[in-house]
Amino acid sequence: MDEPAIELSGISKSFTGVPVLRDVSFRVRAGSLHALLGGNGSGKSTTLKILAGIHRAEHGGVIRVHGTRHDTRDYSPATARAAGLRFVHQELGLVPDLTVSENFALDGGFPRRYGPAIGWRALHRGTQEQLDRAQVRVDARTPVRELRPSDRTLVAIARALRDSDRGRHITLVLDEPTASLPQHEVDVLLGALRECRDRGQTIIYVSHRLGEVLEIADRISVLRDGEVAVDIPASGASRESLIEAMTGASVEPPARRAPGEGDPVGPALLRVQGLSAGALRCADLDLAAGEVVGLAGLVGSGRTSLLRALFGDLLVRAGTVILDGQAVTVRNPAEAIELGIALVPEDRAGDAAFLDRPLWENVSAASAGDYWSGWRMDRRRERSDALALLDRYDVRAASADAPFASVSGGNQQKAVLARWFHRAPRVLLLDEPTQGVDAAARADIHRFVRAQVSGGSAALVASSDAEELAELCDRVVVLREGRSSAVLSGPQLTEARISQLAQEDRSDLDVPEQ
Amino acid sequence: MSLNSKSSVGVESPVREPEPDESQRVERAGPRRHTFQRYALVMVLVLMIITFAVLPESGSAFRSPENVRAMLANQAVGLTVAIALLFPMAAGYFDFSVGAVTATCSVVAAALLSQAGLPLPLAVLVAIIVGATAGLILGVLIAVLDMNAFIATLGTATLLGGLIFAYTGGLQITSGIPSSLTDLGSLSVLGVPRIAVLAALIAAASWFVMGHTPFGRQLFAIGSNARAAALVGVRVTRVRLLSFVVSGTVAGIAGVLLLARQGAATSDNGMTMLFPALTAVLLSTITLELGRPSVAGTVVAIFLVAVSVSGLTLLGAPAWVGPVFDGAALLVAVAFTRLAAGRSNRS
Repeated sequence: MDEPAIELSGISKSFTGVPVLRDVSFRVRAGSLHALLGGNGSGKSTTLKILAGIHRAEHGGVIRVHGTRHDTRDYSPATARAAGLRFVHQELGLVPDLTVSENFALDGGFPRRYGPAIGWRALHRGTQEQLDRAQVRVDARTPVRELRPSDRTLVAIARALRDSDRGRHITLVLDEPTASLPQHEVDVLLGALRECRDRGQTIIYVSHRLGEVLEIADRISVLRDGEVAVDIPASGASRESLIEAMTGASVEPPARRAPGEGDPVGPALLRVQGLSAGALRCADLDLAAGEVVGLAGLVGSGRTSLLRALFGDLLVRAGTVILDGQAVTVRNPAEAIELGIALVPEDRAGDAAFLDRPLWENVSAASAGDYWSGWRMDRRRERSDALALLDRYDVRAASADAPFASVSGGNQQKAVLARWFHRAPRVLLLDEPTQGVDAAARADIHRFVRAQVSGGSAALVASSDAEELAELCDRVVVLREGRSSAVLSGPQLTEARISQLAQEDRSDLDVPEQ
Repeated sequence: MSLNSKSSVGVESPVREPEPDESQRVERAGPRRHTFQRYALVMVLVLMIITFAVLPESGSAFRSPENVRAMLANQAVGLTVAIALLFPMAAGYFDFSVGAVTATCSVVAAALLSQAGLPLPLAVLVAIIVGATAGLILGVLIAVLDMNAFIATLGTATLLGGLIFAYTGGLQITSGIPSSLTDLGSLSVLGVPRIAVLAALIAAASWFVMGHTPFGRQLFAIGSNARAAALVGVRVTRVRLLSFVVSGTVAGIAGVLLLARQGAATSDNGMTMLFPALTAVLLSTITLELGRPSVAGTVVAIFLVAVSVSGLTLLGAPAWVGPVFDGAALLVAVAFTRLAAGRSNRS
């Protein structure tokens, strides 16, 4: 077992003269689950791409896979595949409308019968065998769309692993497999991965969710600024030590208000009464100035519906919204913005980003009208304001003129936040504010939100990450089936309690949603 | 053109022979490449002008003030039609009806002048209002009722073409066009054709509206990501509707310019005006401002086509060269736009 499955030594890489990786070396023991951690710009993705053969490392580095030594000069995607490396990306590469069998066949070919006709029975049987071998409890004839999210990931893994039955050594590389999964699905997936590892499968696991890495990994390598900052057994790591390794500095927890102050202080800034919209059925909520209130609940519980309804992006069927003691009707986002409401949506690329436009224009997007001086746009002032915001909220990019798409996830999210902070909103609505964001950016974002509400505004944070809600919020409202089912505050406000309440009736609600 | 070299970015590169600058290839197109790409068409235009002006076969005729004036005057209508196309295009819609709207407005103006005997300013005003109304109807169909823009604009174009034929019976309206209008199309001020000055003013106004007003910003925001635009407070339906109204208004003006230039209203359906305009607008997306249409890029593209056709004709090329050049330029433009789109996530 001492033979490493994967060994990288002396891997360096520069892009147009800028070093991205410097002499990176680490080894992955066969049959272990090895986690690779790192913030934006740490070189984590570049390392993965080098391992996959997509990028070529500089001369002198060595990649050893399953005992075979490869010079970096002739290491290609084909080499990586032949050597037994299998990658499963966050986007699983499954076609939702096709069955599991068909998805297997897309990758491995259809078995034939009578000339060109597909041997469907043989295909289903073969696929089922492979699923059973990987202990994925799924019927091969099920359309992928109908599978729960964690099962989809497991199906993709089973598909990637199918050569292993030929007695070859395979290493599985999972890139952010849990990034878009709700918490209870994450638990299911982690359980399955642990079983997989126990059967002797080597797994390289890339994630920025520290909790799950600590829970599942045997060994953890942390990259920072293109170097291996820490390479230790998971048993010797803690959340704090990992954040420190990733950021190079110890992270202070965001200041929470003193315990006992759990109930809304003073008059409510925002009061929601019996609101029905989308998945929301008669929800109530109070939000006081200076407060960060969390929204917990399963997918489909109405978290996103509540935020969108408050922002005028979803038709309100019934109920009242009272802002500053005045009943308001918000018919569209423009009116919401007028009232001092801001929404940072969950789907950044789809709902918040102008991917082809420069970073700075993305920051000023919600305020562009303010730069109309009566006869022309004051582009210069707009740009300089945007640059100041990028600086203030620590958005790092090659250039403020770079297209938004070229900026890393965490920095994109900070830029979207800066867009709204600039308007000094009274009510800040955040939907999954740190999804797909690394630990350092996540800490920054939490700090920014705290600083923002301390000025007398309030924030409503919907998140499927109980850890985040416990860390950031003064109170957490748990939504279930579109209603407010519980409010947690003070000593009750813990990650475990949130998860428990949010998932209490998961058996009744266990329908995967798109 | 060597613009092609940029297409080989990404995953397939390591399979190729290792080269010393392999890492550069993986990088996204760098700033220098962008600069080259931005000015490629401008350089082609300048090169063409120099070539045609120097070549002994075409030189003296090409350089003559008459030829320059004719080129400017001939492109005035085309440029205005292209600008009409630009507004919906910025918001992400192809509008195939601008040529037909232009032709319709030209017929309306001619009919009002020659049949109804309306005074010139009133006839011009009514023609422009007809254009704006056509834009409004299209805007309601597409922006409010969410009809497919391709179908709605193509349907409108066909319908207007039919109406023109029904009214004119395929004959041009030639009589009763006052000379004060045709003078606009044929006379010059300070050596520059009046009609070209007018087109330049429209181009300048459009450049200002698109680049220096909130409306222009909102238009491009919608073109980039309509959903995100709505969530930063852009009233998407309203702005889209307005883009079609502006487009129809400009097409109405183009119709009046067409009548002034030709001295007669066309009896065709305007499709012959649509395609050069489409070519110019698509070419503009690979010029100056990469990945999105612009007024300046459209002006460059219009002149590129005009100079090439004029120069080639002077060199003795037959009449079919014009459409062949237009078609080839359009294909090249679309191909490059697609390549650029593939690289920058724009669909």
